[in-house]
Amino acid sequence: MLRQPRQTGDEIWKTKVDKISAELFTLTYGSVVAQLMKDHENYIEVNKHLEKMGYNIGVRLIEDFLAKSGTTKCGDFRETADTIAKIGFKIFLGISPTVTNWSADSKEFSLVLEDNPLSDFVELPEDAVTELWYSNVLCGVLRGALEMVHMQVEVAFVSDILRGDDLTEMRVKLVKYLEEEVPAGED
Amino acid sequence: MNFSVNCIAIIGKLNNPLYIKNFSQSHQDLKYHYIAHTSIDIIEERISAAAKHTDQYLGLLYAMEDLAVFGYITNTRIKFILVISLADVIIKDQDMKNLFRRIHNAYVNLVSNPFYDPDSKKPIVSTRFEQAMREIAT
Repeated sequence: MLRQPRQTGDEIWKTKVDKISAELFTLTYGSVVAQLMKDHENYIEVNKHLEKMGYNIGVRLIEDFLAKSGTTKCGDFRETADTIAKIGFKIFLGISPTVTNWSADSKEFSLVLEDNPLSDFVELPEDAVTELWYSNVLCGVLRGALEMVHMQVEVAFVSDILRGDDLTEMRVKLVKYLEEEVPAGED
Repeated sequence: MNFSVNCIAIIGKLNNPLYIKNFSQSHQDLKYHYIAHTSIDIIEERISAAAKHTDQYLGLLYAMEDLAVFGYITNTRIKFILVISLADVIIKDQDMKNLFRRIHNAYVNLVSNPFYDPDSKKPIVSTRFEQAMREIAT
């Protein structure tokens, strides 16, 4: 039986999840971003690459998530949003973002993160401040994971504390539900 | 605390200056550059004199007319220098160690930034670090 999403998330975080050092995680992600900045000429490319990396993580992460949480199919997009915020983020990052700013047709919402473990200690260099979304990998993870449960979404950052804004906010937009499609090439 | 921090200086492992900040109005910046420079010599003496590398806190390095200079070296050979204006009070070692520990923490936060290159010879440019130094000095 599915209990309150928040409880389930906390319980799984306490019991079934292996822990590593937070600093190790933050420094690893930091060096990934620093290396990408050296490899690419402009920050738009870096953003895209981070999103692609996130996508690859997401399509695999969803299996782990479903195995650990055992949640049933979400009835509507609102349930999906709650599940992502209270169970998904809790299990993998240990944080609980808040779901806000629902659009009128319930197809868009915002995730506000109070603290972002990816960006501890980080200060963006001057020329990156206007263009780089440091935690863009999270957008890709959400897109990849939701695509595997037949939802096509667009996820993008709206504001980021590293850039000087007041809070870190991601906007998630449902584009459409994907139907099972016969792979091309079959009659 | 009834003494005031006049200057915080950070010297890199190749004895290159990383950060020298003057918090007082009584002396010019140049004087503190000079003080930091001479402190390097004294620190080197102390390190080479000791048989093994003992403590990170080096204590009072030397005193001038109205200034006292304290030193602290990390295991990665980064040196922190504090210049204090001498009032007529005994300055406790514990207070100094406290200040140095805070500087060390701020430095660790700086180095953890993936965009900071600890091997470069360039001076430290970071608003968060400046903010932390200002808080320590006041």
